[in-house]
Amino acid sequence: MAPTTLFRSEEMSLIQLYIPAEVAQPCVAELGELGKVQFRDLNPEVNAFQRAFVSEIRRLDEMERLCRFFNTQIEKAEIPIRPLTAAAYGSRARSAQEIDDLEEKLKEHEGRIIQMNGSYETLQRRYLQLTELRHVLRETGGFFEQAESRQDTIRNSMDEGDASTPLLEHDVEQQNHDEMGRLNLGYVTGVISRARMQTFERVLWRSLRGNLYMNSAEIDEPITDPDSDEVIDKNVFAIFAHGREIINKIKKISQSLGATLYTVDDSADKRRDAYLEVTGRIEDLNNVLSNTSQTRRAELQKIAENLTSWTTVVRKEKAIYHTMNLFNYDVNRKCLIAEGWCASNDISIIQHALKNATEASGTNLPSILTELTTKKKPPTFHRTNKFTEGFQAVIDAYGIARYREVNPGLFTIISFPYLFAIMFGDVGHGFLMFLFALYLVLNEKKLAKVDNDIFSMFFSGRYMVLLMGLFSMYVGFIYNDMFSLSLDFWKTGFDWPTEYNSTDTIEATPNGNVYPFGFDPSWHGSENFLLFSNSYKMKQAIIIGVIHMLFGICLQVYNHVNFKNKMFIWLEFLPQILFMSSIFGYLTFCIMYKWSVDWWALDENGNHIHNAPPNLLNMLIYMFLSPGNVNPEEQLYPGQGPIQTILLLIAVVCVPWMWFAKPYYLKAQHNKHHYQSVAGDDDVAYDEEQNGHAGGSNEATEDDEEEEEFEFSEVMIHQTIHTIEFCLNCISNTASYLRLWALSLAHAQLSSVLWDMTFKIWFGFSGVIGVIGLFIGFAMWFSLTIFILLGMEGLSAFLHTLRLHWVEFDGKFYMADGVKFEPFAFKTVLEAKSE
Amino acid sequence: MASALFYNENDGYIDGILRGYFSGILNQTQYLNFTQCETLEDLRLQIGATDYGTLLQNEPSPLATSTLSERLTERLVDEFNYIRATAVQPLSKFLDYITYQYMIDNVILLITGTLHERDTHDLLERCHPLGQFESMPALCVATTVAELYNTVLVETPLAPYFANCLSAQDLDELNIEIIRNTLYKAYLEDFYAFCQTLGGPTAEVMGDILQFEADRRTVNITINSFGTELPKEDRKKLFPTIGRLFPEGNAKLAIADEFEQVKATCEVFHEYRPFFDMSTSGKTLEDKFFEHEVFLNRLAFQQQFNYGVFYAYIKLKEQEIRNIVWIAECISQNQKDRINSYIPVL
Repeated sequence: MAPTTLFRSEEMSLIQLYIPAEVAQPCVAELGELGKVQFRDLNPEVNAFQRAFVSEIRRLDEMERLCRFFNTQIEKAEIPIRPLTAAAYGSRARSAQEIDDLEEKLKEHEGRIIQMNGSYETLQRRYLQLTELRHVLRETGGFFEQAESRQDTIRNSMDEGDASTPLLEHDVEQQNHDEMGRLNLGYVTGVISRARMQTFERVLWRSLRGNLYMNSAEIDEPITDPDSDEVIDKNVFAIFAHGREIINKIKKISQSLGATLYTVDDSADKRRDAYLEVTGRIEDLNNVLSNTSQTRRAELQKIAENLTSWTTVVRKEKAIYHTMNLFNYDVNRKCLIAEGWCASNDISIIQHALKNATEASGTNLPSILTELTTKKKPPTFHRTNKFTEGFQAVIDAYGIARYREVNPGLFTIISFPYLFAIMFGDVGHGFLMFLFALYLVLNEKKLAKVDNDIFSMFFSGRYMVLLMGLFSMYVGFIYNDMFSLSLDFWKTGFDWPTEYNSTDTIEATPNGNVYPFGFDPSWHGSENFLLFSNSYKMKQAIIIGVIHMLFGICLQVYNHVNFKNKMFIWLEFLPQILFMSSIFGYLTFCIMYKWSVDWWALDENGNHIHNAPPNLLNMLIYMFLSPGNVNPEEQLYPGQGPIQTILLLIAVVCVPWMWFAKPYYLKAQHNKHHYQSVAGDDDVAYDEEQNGHAGGSNEATEDDEEEEEFEFSEVMIHQTIHTIEFCLNCISNTASYLRLWALSLAHAQLSSVLWDMTFKIWFGFSGVIGVIGLFIGFAMWFSLTIFILLGMEGLSAFLHTLRLHWVEFDGKFYMADGVKFEPFAFKTVLEAKSE
Repeated sequence: MASALFYNENDGYIDGILRGYFSGILNQTQYLNFTQCETLEDLRLQIGATDYGTLLQNEPSPLATSTLSERLTERLVDEFNYIRATAVQPLSKFLDYITYQYMIDNVILLITGTLHERDTHDLLERCHPLGQFESMPALCVATTVAELYNTVLVETPLAPYFANCLSAQDLDELNIEIIRNTLYKAYLEDFYAFCQTLGGPTAEVMGDILQFEADRRTVNITINSFGTELPKEDRKKLFPTIGRLFPEGNAKLAIADEFEQVKATCEVFHEYRPFFDMSTSGKTLEDKFFEHEVFLNRLAFQQQFNYGVFYAYIKLKEQEIRNIVWIAECISQNQKDRINSYIPVL
């Protein structure tokens, strides 16, 4: 059994479990707690609602609904629920008996809550009515007084209108009016929501043609509608009009527009009595209401204490039955048969867990675990810990590794922070980043609970950030760069002239001393510093890039060996690595060689030993344009011409090698295989085979389902694309690594600009201005350093590193067409639901 | 061309949202799963697996068909309201036009209900939420056509459509039917004209859909008026004048007396011919109309840069709701042999 490493994914086994039906539930519960098995669906053709345990799931669904119902009720009552703690995770899945009890309990609680809600609502509705009535009584008093005076004017105007009628008649009418007026001026009083008021007025006006007198007043007390539990602003209105028909119509309109009507007596005394009575009743009702509310609250509080653990239990149970729905019954329906993937190293743990579960349930029927041999593609499982998790996630985001292929995640742990640091190299920035990550790491237990998308993104990558900070400090020391300033630890290798005029350009002369580590601080601030650092950083980018890619190509070997394709090492790996190293490997060599030569050395006669340092870029270009010829003035080393010709020839030979060798090898393999399977019994097939193509189709059907049909043209096309892609990518990917240089340059320049523009300008001042200026300058410099350099620049460097890993490095060997191993675990079930 | 150039500037986002909604419309396999359900609980499980997701999860069992239909409609209305809130002119106006037809339905529902002295609140609950307007409840008070207009409808967008109905006096069964059809005719013509002003693919797509709608109404009115006291001149007045049957078809239908004549008139058009072929399958004319409507609406989604998709989506979704409710009813009433007469949308 292979040991657990991050280099390859775990070895997986397909296991088959025979679980006696009566202990199936506790067994699956135990496996769920363990979270190490990914079950396969054994009845994919069965509809979701025709599976074995649908009724149980339905029951649990109902219980989950009840839990949600309680949850909303509790939230409405603003009672704090105990959060999902580690203890709650631990609440075990229960036995069937306990589930029955729980269901009973939930139902009981629900009944009580619903009843209480019901009575509370009735009471509240009554309360609402009484409050509205009270307001109506209070407001209408004023309306009636106004209306009375108004009535007189109405009557007066009618009198005037009647002026033409004979006097006698008029008198009679007048008397009638006096009586009728009192009797017939009907009124409607009620309450309507303020939003509807306008429509209400408009509709009334239109349908009665203005024959009404309406008065309304706002209720300042907010009124809660028991149906929707929303606070609604309402208005009291009173409408006076003549005639029974019209009054009826008004009533109908008001009711259909959602107004509540209250009858009010027109005598002021009776109104006052009613008002007092209503106020009294409201007080009584208030008592009852608060009592009901109290008991309801107490009940909810009781529920709130247990709700989390109930919910957890229900969810776990549901997950168990969902899993059991994937299982098969054996012929006697006594056993459940489960199939699933697990890491081969975990089998003993699983067996142990099963044994525990069966023993705990007190039955003597053991569950049986057998390992199956299969040709099915196993899922990929990388066992990670909290340190490697973040790095693996970066790789998984690109693609899940094919089963047992080399996992780039392992190398990413170092290469990622390193490439990042080359772009981000600065001791100060690196240190700040390191501190931030250190804070996250030291408080990880506490911070793990913070529920914030952006924060949890940083948090999950905390170890990555930690390493990125450390490496940035390291590279910062190489660049000798700390917030764009230099550190001066050792003796510098340059001497500055001691006497100079401040306006002159001065030149430092080498004193033979070699600065032991990183850039010599004398470079800082010098005019040609940028030339020097650019040249260095550019070459460094190429060297690191080529090494990174060559390493990626080399990793292919492990894959070829592991997948038993040793021939591919000769057919694919060798031409690739030769091609790459004969062009770009050679370039790297030249860079190193050029560094190692003292181009300005003189012989004893004072003549230059070497020619002027040659331009490497031109050298590479002319290696292709005029093979074999090297301009003696630009010669790097003697014998350069022939060596370059040989390298070029190697590279050229590699192209057809890459292109044709593999497809023809595969074809030969296939033919050999085919001869063996059809030898002797079918001459026709043999003839067909001779002709070259075909053959694959009739064989595939009888062969194992795993074996794919072989189509030569397809393989050929695929290989053509692959070859062209590889050759072009060699150039473009190498160029792509130049981003290391570009970003590093940008970072250094940005940080020096920031230093010069916000902080350094204040150094010249003194006195109060100097103090205040320094204070503001520092604040600006520091916050901009944090936000722009650490935040934005860091993010951009991160993204570029990500790209270099995904495209340039992974592209060389990583197939990434695997399936992720997703074990059945309560932990994931609960976490997914609580989101 | 210009509309295609600038379409995304104003309506691109909401068009994307809508096409996203559209991809959630149930497909054949999902319907197949639905029809295999034994109980409504099974159906709830199946609906949970579709784009409706958690829609029904907080409904207590047992589930009633009416709740199901309510929830489904609610979802549609939510989607529509979101689209309406995000839309700008002229799309918002287009969307308003869609709501007018529901307003018409609601108005008719309320006055019919009032005529039969049904409880106002029940009636209000049965109104389609897309067609609700502020003063709608006051419709219950009206007793004559003039009153109806003057009290309520005058301030709604339906007012201009209503102008033709004012000749009728009393609100009786026949008059209500006439009002409904007159309103609808005016609405269709107005909507059609509006779509034509928008031009481009909208005019084309909506033109097809609305013309078919008009023809469908013409045919329905004709068939339904056989044997009623509706005079033939009045019948002609109810026919929308935008359909493909207009004018000769309309003229012929106006004087038709029996089904055969309708058939002969409509068979001029190749697309309409199969509707009247009653020999095949047990489908009614109504079903075939629905099928063709679904087909036209689906076609709208083949076109880019047009507003027709908004109309089509609402219609398709409505059909889907009808389908689900039909299946649910069949399940709950144990009529499983008729469960397959739903009209597949995709």
